[in-house]
Amino acid sequence: MSHVRLLLVDDEERFLATTRILLEKRDVKSIQTATNGGDALKILRKEPVDVVVLDVKMPGMDGVEVLRRLKQEHPLVEVIMLTGHASVESAVDGLKLGAFDYVMKPIDIPPLLEKVEEAYEKKRAHEEKIRAAKVNEIISHPMAVFNKDPED
Amino acid sequence: MDAKAKDRDRQRFKGIRRMILVRVLLLPFIIVTVVFGTVVYYFGTNLQSRVASELVRIAEGHRRLIEQFLEERVANLKFASVSYRLDELRSDGFLAVVLRNLQGNSRGFFDLGVFDEQGNHVAYVGSYDLEGKNYAHAEWFRAVEKKGVYISDVFLGYRKFPHFIIAVKREEKHSTWYVRATIDTQFFNDLVESVRVGKTGEAYIITQAGTFQTRRRSGGALMEADPDHRLYESDDSGIVSFVADDSTGCRYVNATGRLDPTGWLLVVRQEAREAYAPLYRVWVIGIVIILAGGGLVVLMAFVLASSQARQLVLSDREKRQLGNQLIMAGKFAELGEMSVGIAHEINNPLQVMKAEQTLMTDILNEIKTGEVVDKANIGMVLDSVSQIAIQIDRCKQITQGLLSFARKTDAVSKTIDLASFIPEVIRMVEQKAKLENVRISYESDPELPELSSDPSQLQQVMLNLLNNALYALKKKENGEIRISARREDDSVKICVADNGCGIDPKVVDKIFLPFFTTKPVGQGTGLGLSTIYGIVERLGGQILVNSEETVGSVFTVRLPLPVKG
Repeated sequence: MSHVRLLLVDDEERFLATTRILLEKRDVKSIQTATNGGDALKILRKEPVDVVVLDVKMPGMDGVEVLRRLKQEHPLVEVIMLTGHASVESAVDGLKLGAFDYVMKPIDIPPLLEKVEEAYEKKRAHEEKIRAAKVNEIISHPMAVFNKDPED
Repeated sequence: MDAKAKDRDRQRFKGIRRMILVRVLLLPFIIVTVVFGTVVYYFGTNLQSRVASELVRIAEGHRRLIEQFLEERVANLKFASVSYRLDELRSDGFLAVVLRNLQGNSRGFFDLGVFDEQGNHVAYVGSYDLEGKNYAHAEWFRAVEKKGVYISDVFLGYRKFPHFIIAVKREEKHSTWYVRATIDTQFFNDLVESVRVGKTGEAYIITQAGTFQTRRRSGGALMEADPDHRLYESDDSGIVSFVADDSTGCRYVNATGRLDPTGWLLVVRQEAREAYAPLYRVWVIGIVIILAGGGLVVLMAFVLASSQARQLVLSDREKRQLGNQLIMAGKFAELGEMSVGIAHEINNPLQVMKAEQTLMTDILNEIKTGEVVDKANIGMVLDSVSQIAIQIDRCKQITQGLLSFARKTDAVSKTIDLASFIPEVIRMVEQKAKLENVRISYESDPELPELSSDPSQLQQVMLNLLNNALYALKKKENGEIRISARREDDSVKICVADNGCGIDPKVVDKIFLPFFTTKPVGQGTGLGLSTIYGIVERLGGQILVNSEETVGSVFTVRLPLPVKG
């Protein structure tokens, strides 16, 4: 788990601080935090992130809105939604928009880490496939190496 | 129910009962009175005219009877005077025979006398010693001399006894003589008096001079002057009827008529009290029936009115209870709509507490497996513990706010300081507002006086308005809710203004109607505004709305300030 780059997004500051400590104790080394959608997107633009744990209901930009923008800008990043709703409506919306999974609040650390692990795996597999596809591309069309690569 | 409410109910009961009674009884009472009055009036007039005409009929008949009697007696005498010669009549015992014959015609003849031209009483048969007396100066003699026939008024004469006579003149070729008969006073009295008109009816004759020609049963001897003579003056030749009080103060119904040959006046009269007795009986019976029947009606009406009034008061009470239930229902609907936000609000503290608890467990486990116990990790544990305490407090606030809102309370009257009351309510929806990016601002007059009202109901009003405003601001950027509280004359004006989606002018009239909602099915109950409308009215205030689509809405609640007592 030490290689996962995590971003926690939640409007409760204390929660972020304590969860960070808990995750660090469990060997997650790279943890970033943000209290709102705007800050989260800023961080994503600057730093590489693998998995985002995102609270659905936040002031300012709604969690679902953040997800949408996030997926537009960084399609490979996996998102785990945190929801307190009994009806999980927004979480379902999120899944439709491409979130990886959702977790009910208040969260338990072990199940969360499991899901983060799975998300990370998925991301890596995805990235592998893309790399493999690119290599095939170059092999079939050598001149394409000079094309501007919009990825990454 | 408390004593005050019971008292209020009792007053209301009495008031309604009185109103029903008056309305139910007044009109029939008036109608009955009018009907009774009209009937009695017509009966009275009818009775009066019947009594009068009856009396007139009797008087006419009687008058004819008496006139006939006098005519016949005159005829008798006339016949006697022409049937015999004077010398015959003067012969001994002959007059007695003639008198006996005359008495065969009528027992009214009392005595008989013959007079010569000079007025000497030349023959007489009767109980008095009158033969030989001269009557040349007697009124009757002079009258019969002139008129040929004369019927006298009652007078005393030589015999010093009240009597009256009939005299006829006999004119022969060479001589003139007179026959005179005395009419039996008793007989004539009986004849005249013999009229039956009830118990107090009587008939009598007065002379033209106003003296009694016959006795009057109710008081009046022969030849006495009738004190009421003046009442009878009339030029009418027929029978005249009238009602008058006589000199003794007694009211009589009279019928009078002049007797032809003599000009006497026949008076037939009956005491008005007796004549109109049926009328009085009708009055009495009618009134007794009306009172008895009316009493019964009043009793029935009272019973009915009481039961009706009781029903109404009961219905009122039920209505009030239903009203209270509706408020409760509105409250719970409100609660339901707020529940989502509330759940989130509680979830956050729970989340933090969970994280702290996990951290504490981690640290303590580390210590257990050999980690050094030092200030740092003890500090962290303590920190987590205090954080949990903070979060518990947060939850406590939320649940207490909820519970006090949901609690069923009877309307109470407490002093409310709006300056602290309104911000507290705002706090209850603060989280939700923050989530939806809505700014809430509050502004009030610095010297805002305290209200005397029911805090829980007022809270419900404010919450509903705030929740509605938040709903209107969904999906709007820069959402803002401005709350203001100002004093205006003798009331406080609280405005809740939002720059949300506004209200469609076509439905703005309906928003306070129960079960009216613009929210999609399952989200709105339509009870919110209608409930607080009722609450505001009951608190003595009013609630108004001003709205423009896409611009925003302003809800104004005006509440009365306590009257300085």
